[in-house]
Amino acid sequence: MSPVGGPAQGGEELLLARGITKQFGGIVALDGVDLTVAAGEAVGVIGPNGAGKTTLFNCLFGLEQPDDGTVVFDGRRIDRLPVWKRSRMGIGRTFQRMQLFDGMTVADHLLVAEQAASGTVRIWRDLLHRGGPTPAELHHVEEVLELLGIVQLAGRPVETLDLGHARLVELGRAMMGTPRLLMLDEPSSGLDADDTARLSGILGATRRSTGVALLLVEHDLALVESIVDRLVVLNFGKVLASGTVAEVLAEPEVRRAYLGVTS
Amino acid sequence: MNQFVNYAVPGVPFGCVFALMSVGLVLTYKASGVFNLAFGAQAFVSALAFVALVQDGWPRWAAVLIAVAVIGPFVGVVLDRLLFRRIRTASPLVKLVPSLGLLVALPQVALIIAGSTPTIPPPAIVGDAQRVYLHLGSVPLSGLELSIAASTVIVVGVLIVLFRFTPVGLEMRAVVESPRMTELAGVNAGRVSAFAWILSSMMAALAGVLLAPLYSQLDPQNFTVLLVWGVAGAVIGRFASLPLALIGGLALGVGQQVIAGYMPAGVIANGLRPSLPFVVLLVFLPLARLRQLDDPLSGCDPPSTAGERGAVGYRSASTVASSEGTVHSVGVWHQRLGSVPPGRMVGVFTRRPTATLSWAVALVTVVSALTWVPADWLLTMNQGVAFAIIFLSLTLLTGMTGQISLCQATFAGLGGFVAGQLANQFGLPIVLGMVAGGLLAAVLGVLVALPTLRLAGLPLALATLAFALLADNILFPNSWIGNGASGVTLPRPSAGPVSFVAARPFFLLSLIVLAVAAGVVKLVGDGTMGRYLSAVRGSELAATSVGIDVYRLRVLVFALSAALAGVGGALFGSLEGSLSANDFGYQISAVLLVVVAIVGLRSITGAVVAGVVYATLQVAVTSLPTRFAGLVAVLFGLATLSYTRHPEGFLDVLSGKAQGLIGVRRSRGLQRDPADPPSAESSPVVSGPVSGGAV
Repeated sequence: MSPVGGPAQGGEELLLARGITKQFGGIVALDGVDLTVAAGEAVGVIGPNGAGKTTLFNCLFGLEQPDDGTVVFDGRRIDRLPVWKRSRMGIGRTFQRMQLFDGMTVADHLLVAEQAASGTVRIWRDLLHRGGPTPAELHHVEEVLELLGIVQLAGRPVETLDLGHARLVELGRAMMGTPRLLMLDEPSSGLDADDTARLSGILGATRRSTGVALLLVEHDLALVESIVDRLVVLNFGKVLASGTVAEVLAEPEVRRAYLGVTS
Repeated sequence: MNQFVNYAVPGVPFGCVFALMSVGLVLTYKASGVFNLAFGAQAFVSALAFVALVQDGWPRWAAVLIAVAVIGPFVGVVLDRLLFRRIRTASPLVKLVPSLGLLVALPQVALIIAGSTPTIPPPAIVGDAQRVYLHLGSVPLSGLELSIAASTVIVVGVLIVLFRFTPVGLEMRAVVESPRMTELAGVNAGRVSAFAWILSSMMAALAGVLLAPLYSQLDPQNFTVLLVWGVAGAVIGRFASLPLALIGGLALGVGQQVIAGYMPAGVIANGLRPSLPFVVLLVFLPLARLRQLDDPLSGCDPPSTAGERGAVGYRSASTVASSEGTVHSVGVWHQRLGSVPPGRMVGVFTRRPTATLSWAVALVTVVSALTWVPADWLLTMNQGVAFAIIFLSLTLLTGMTGQISLCQATFAGLGGFVAGQLANQFGLPIVLGMVAGGLLAAVLGVLVALPTLRLAGLPLALATLAFALLADNILFPNSWIGNGASGVTLPRPSAGPVSFVAARPFFLLSLIVLAVAAGVVKLVGDGTMGRYLSAVRGSELAATSVGIDVYRLRVLVFALSAALAGVGGALFGSLEGSLSANDFGYQISAVLLVVVAIVGLRSITGAVVAGVVYATLQVAVTSLPTRFAGLVAVLFGLATLSYTRHPEGFLDVLSGKAQGLIGVRRSRGLQRDPADPPSAESSPVVSGPVSGGAV
């Protein structure tokens, strides 16, 4: 195994991806990518446009089937599992192009996610009029709303929210069911400086309170630096470098490929 | 081998006609983004015009010219201008309902205009349809077969020249490949699309005219069958390739003759042939690039803006309905938070000021029905109640999940047949039979759902249509199930002193069944399932990524919906005393969907009103001259034209108006929320239209 993308210092491995390869026609989007996220660790994935960041996310999460490679989560092979099963195992995810449930309220977004995460059969309980949310579920929804600072928006339909709040709702939805890994795809895209700072604070608070691991694709380097323990750089579908933020950004190859600096 | 040829050659003319349909369907689909189910109706209209003109003494060449080169394109252009051009990025449901409406309405409009069905046997374009002109090996070729083959060769030749050697052909190929890129290159895609409509409508017209002589009399149903074959051919062409669609159509024509030839005669052979489209759909649909099917513009193009947050223009039916105030939520929760007035948050079905009024109307109706209403009116009302239950199955399936089933009538028929057969053969009480019918419909629903529900949207609709056709040909004629044309008798329930045989007690029973069905729909809609379904409608991607097993959810709802339809069908059969295959043929499913979509798919009231209105209109039409027999179909079919503007249904529009009149002050009070002024916390910098995030 190459040293790049190797296991992090301390902590057990939560997500372990080996040799992820994905082609679209003749284009190699991912070429043998290795990636490890330890429990509670925050890993940032950066790289120029088209480097394969979102494709990597999709392969890990099951939205795309990699041509080759294995994904292990929590000691279990998950690369053949459907998306909903991976989600119930404890992976939450947001999308670069936001995916919200139009027509539903903010609170319902979180409630749906909370109930779906438990994965119990509901139809019989519905027919017996016993399908309502339990106090514990409602309590958790309230907790997350408070953490996000959007309790006052609980009853608002999501289409009436502005982008910053909508992104928070999507994040909150991914946090329901107490996942062990949060995969965030460009969470700050389209946000202004204030919103981004708030996002950074929320992510930090979440990590402290739940010990959730983060995998973050992000362009905003300031946000990345404020959150992650470790950085992985993708370029043309390959891992170019991996290490602490300072280490990685100091590497000349990274500076050439990503920052466009020739030294 | 020789025998194979003997079987195969007679299939070629069929294949040619199917191929014309397939190519035409693919052409309009790719050029305008609409899968035009009205194609079968367009074929019928031209065939009718052709035969009627010949009967009036016109020379055949002139009649062909009028039917194919004038009427065909005229209908196509009108449809394009009035309707299809405006819905190219709408949701599958909004796209499908109007074309279904037209499929139902157009033939009836044509028949009303024509006055009566022509009595002469439909002639071939050239020569004598029946006379054998020459032999290919040992296979005789009649004038009909020769004229079909010749016409198809000419059409294919013209198409090749057009596509290869003319500028408009080049543009059309480009539009088929990628409409947006073509527009970016400065081509008027609207004009090209109109041209594609003219071309494909001519092909539908020609297919209709060519096919007509195969039947002794013109019947719109035969042309719907033609449509289903054409759809299967288009699926082989993966909705994308014109040559593949052509080959697919030909192969189907030959294939069905070969199957018929090799199979022993009887029900199996006769049934297997019509089931070929269903099999083809099941095999080939998953191969087609499904993501592109709902939005043909999505593949190589930038993603469609339809359904995107903040997008203008047409949005999905569910979105429109939800923005009308049916915001789905949990009442208790919001009351606790104090952020939202409880009145507006009571689940999928929101209580409106008009609700009290509806309850009053319902109560008066029921009391009247049980006391003074004359027997024939009562019968109509009771039919309405039975239909309401079937409509509720669509409220559940289509209203809540957005899935389109074109085989609800099949489930209804099946439920009725099973109930009747169990009562007749095994002496099972009819009420238990209804339950059994519902259960069996649910089982069949699961069987249909398992292979087809991964498809969702348009492909699911097509697969269910093909299934309905299959059931019509295999299940319903079977003496163990539908018993063919003679049908199955169903008793009315009666056990000892408790008898529901008389009209009023039976009406009461029907109301109880309706109440149970409505209760099921409401419980599912307001419960966790309903919330899951709302989530799936909002974003299927996000729904699976929070852990919802969307596929399983859909199968469950499909089965539940099939069960409701089965119970409704059994109740209808018990009311009528007997049920035959005609009562719930495949074309009825389309009518049912259209009717309930017009009235309102998103509420229980919608289903009930749809049931009563449908039953009443059907009775009303019988008092008109026979010429107007199809008037109900015409009314509802043409009403679908406005469906694109009001996907929430007439009932919501009306109740919105009524609300405007009687409840202005009240609803204003509900919408204003002092705890949460909309502008207070919105970010000053980032707001306004969202363009899907930075790329």
